[in-house]
Amino acid sequence: MKKTTKCILGTMFMAALLAGCGGSSSDAGSGAAETQESAQVTSVAAEDGVVRIANIADYQTLDVHKTSADFTIPINVFDRLFEIVPTDGGSTEIVNSLVDDYTISEDGLTYDFTLKSGVTFSDGTPFTANDVKYTIERALTLPETVQTDIYASIAGAQELMDGTADDLSGVVVTDDTHFSITLSVPYAGFIGQLATPGAAMFSESITEAAGDSFGQDPAVTIGTGPYMVTSWERNASLTLEVNPNYWGEEPDVKKVIISIVPDPSTMSMMFQNGELDMLDGDELDSAVFDATYRTPQYEDKIVSAFRLATTYMALNENVEPLNDVNVRKAIQMAIDRQTILDTVYSGGGFLVDGIYARGLLGYTEDNQGWLQYDPEGAKALLAEAGYPDGFTMEISSDNSASSSVLLVLQIIQQNLAEVGITLDIVPYDEASWLDLRQSGEMPSFVATWTADYNDPDNFIYTFFGSEENVVNRSLNYKDTDVINRVAAARAIIDDEERMAEYAALEEKIVKEDAAWVPLFSRSHFYVLGDRVESFTPHWAGYSAYIYSTFKLAD
Amino acid sequence: MKYFLKRVIGTIPVLLGVVLLIFVMLRIIPGNPVVILLGEHYDQATIDRLTDLMGYDQPILLQFVNYVKGALVGDLGVSYKYSRPVTEMIMEALPYTIRLALMAVVFAWGLGLITGIIAAVKKNNFIDRMFMGVSLLGVSMPIFMTSLLLQYIFAFKLGWLPMTEEGTFASMILPAIALGWNSAGSVARMTRSSLIEVMQADYIDTARAKGLRKGAVIIGHALKNSLLPVVTMMALQLSSMLSGAVITESVFAIPGIGRLATTAINNRDMPVLQGTVLFTTVIVIAGNLLADFLYSVLDPRIRKGD
Repeated sequence: MKKTTKCILGTMFMAALLAGCGGSSSDAGSGAAETQESAQVTSVAAEDGVVRIANIADYQTLDVHKTSADFTIPINVFDRLFEIVPTDGGSTEIVNSLVDDYTISEDGLTYDFTLKSGVTFSDGTPFTANDVKYTIERALTLPETVQTDIYASIAGAQELMDGTADDLSGVVVTDDTHFSITLSVPYAGFIGQLATPGAAMFSESITEAAGDSFGQDPAVTIGTGPYMVTSWERNASLTLEVNPNYWGEEPDVKKVIISIVPDPSTMSMMFQNGELDMLDGDELDSAVFDATYRTPQYEDKIVSAFRLATTYMALNENVEPLNDVNVRKAIQMAIDRQTILDTVYSGGGFLVDGIYARGLLGYTEDNQGWLQYDPEGAKALLAEAGYPDGFTMEISSDNSASSSVLLVLQIIQQNLAEVGITLDIVPYDEASWLDLRQSGEMPSFVATWTADYNDPDNFIYTFFGSEENVVNRSLNYKDTDVINRVAAARAIIDDEERMAEYAALEEKIVKEDAAWVPLFSRSHFYVLGDRVESFTPHWAGYSAYIYSTFKLAD
Repeated sequence: MKYFLKRVIGTIPVLLGVVLLIFVMLRIIPGNPVVILLGEHYDQATIDRLTDLMGYDQPILLQFVNYVKGALVGDLGVSYKYSRPVTEMIMEALPYTIRLALMAVVFAWGLGLITGIIAAVKKNNFIDRMFMGVSLLGVSMPIFMTSLLLQYIFAFKLGWLPMTEEGTFASMILPAIALGWNSAGSVARMTRSSLIEVMQADYIDTARAKGLRKGAVIIGHALKNSLLPVVTMMALQLSSMLSGAVITESVFAIPGIGRLATTAINNRDMPVLQGTVLFTTVIVIAGNLLADFLYSVLDPRIRKGD
């Protein structure tokens, strides 16, 4: 017996020794460098002036010309000519940023800009009008660019993109702080476009010297904004620090540490443990968010923000019987949107009856009441359309979306069942879902469009602005007259006239043609930790934070 | 030696086959990477231009030949989504995965062998039953549950260990236990049954009869012979852990190979996905070769039989 014990102890000792060796050797190996670095990060985490935030996935690039989604870091590192800021009334206004002043010619074609003087990039390189021209030309000609839209209306843009010109004729630089932009056709949304994250301004010398490393290597990704990226450990963390050469007011937050945390429940626990200073409600399912944070403990730490966004249901007019306007109207009437908003999102938001979100320029309350929940009326319309016993249709759901979205689809399924329509929910993984929608063959879906810039054009043009767009969004809307009017509305110089046209088009599409089923606009919730007193959410409600608006608790 | 050379050469068609298979499969499943890249903001002109740029519309055979050519010199292409060389991305993720795998393996094998041996020696008494009961729990508990439970109890509730990977030794303990838990159970059960079988052999009686102590017999005679099946399992466990622990890496925010692969699947990032699959294949093949090699060291009859 004794001997056995000894032997076991011996074996255990050996194993422990082995474990020790293995542990230390793996540690001393490749991981050693990171060990020290990250350990430091953790120890300074609660230092003054530091804000710790988590993001669910790593950033694709910091170069806004190559991404249409990852804007959080670039909006803090770069500046734009203009900036959109929220107003107290729930709307927004465009304010000058790098631009000091500008005038527009009578015909609405030529814009003369004066830049702020004395603006430099974070490495001290001066920012000049030449950099503006360079940035615009880069956005139009870079092989990987996804931002041609912003500048496509500038005279000579098409020639530059086709390669028939190697200079953008519409942008003329007079001196370091003066330049003018001439458009090929008047475009009222142009200044708004210049305020979008994709319109960030780069330096010609810095960006050219960086080549392909621009946007990938933080050391050469240099902007004029309030922050600069000081470290980026892929898939693990990214650190921003205040730009000492920033031209504007020095922000309260001196350093931002962003951890990449792919698991939402881990993120939530980190926040509760005080390891994060802010939590984005969009990362959690709304049921989980309500159960965990709509509690006495966190209630007064919740910030609710307005979202300039419309959640809508799209119906493909190439699919029988959705080509029948009465069928589409019946679907509009059959969905009990208030119940969906109340049960799935605890009432956080409001109903939208048109295309434009509340707070958007051109939004009026005239459309209130266009959609009424009326199952009996829906049944009557279906009977009139020749479907007294209803029919079967498909809705495609994106697996990667939160389970709240699936819940929305399930309630719609129930609502439609009550009027006799059988709705089959067909799940797809995100990639297939996007691909199917883009092919124009998705029978129906629910999605949300959030404003890029504050103009009705941004909403209506995306969906109804060209024959390609109506296919790409799987709407297959047929009225080419309306499509042409949507495109032409961009060029109406008189703003009042333009807004009236947008209102008329909205009425035609939603009320008369029922080609769009507006649902609601959800509020965006954030929870602040004890160290953060307040912050200004993004004007459109994106999960993009402007760190210079954070105020820390004393 | 000849035996191993033959085995190594034999892996080449396997590798080519795997690359071809993943190539074809990735192109059969729907989902254009360009559309995913653009998300909600897409228009036909941009989609066409980027599709052309990625060479995604080239004939599949040409793409395959180019890929194999590049792979031979260590160039696995450039990520569609992140515009970075895939080899670089794998090399960045690898240290994390190796660290996690080694710690998990040390934990799993250490615990598994010890409990297995104790259980075998104390066959059918209370300790044996208890150990085997616990190991059954280890084998049957899904890894995501182990991960979440460990994280919730020891990091969140008790605060003893960090919640996520921070580069420190302490922050790797929970992920290592989570990942090694299953393997520990299997090793314990296999060690026990194998050791019990060997202990019944005649030569053990002989060894005891010539006056050796029981401990010496177990260590010197029985253990070595009973380890054969256990070692095979260990080599396979090691290679599977090195190919990335998708769930563990996600829960504990470890930027390893498993996360690289899952992100790539969601983004239809073909070059990254091909790269990680190829890498995993190499690791699994190497694990098999290692198992064979250890076999022949432990049991020379296998070598001679060739």
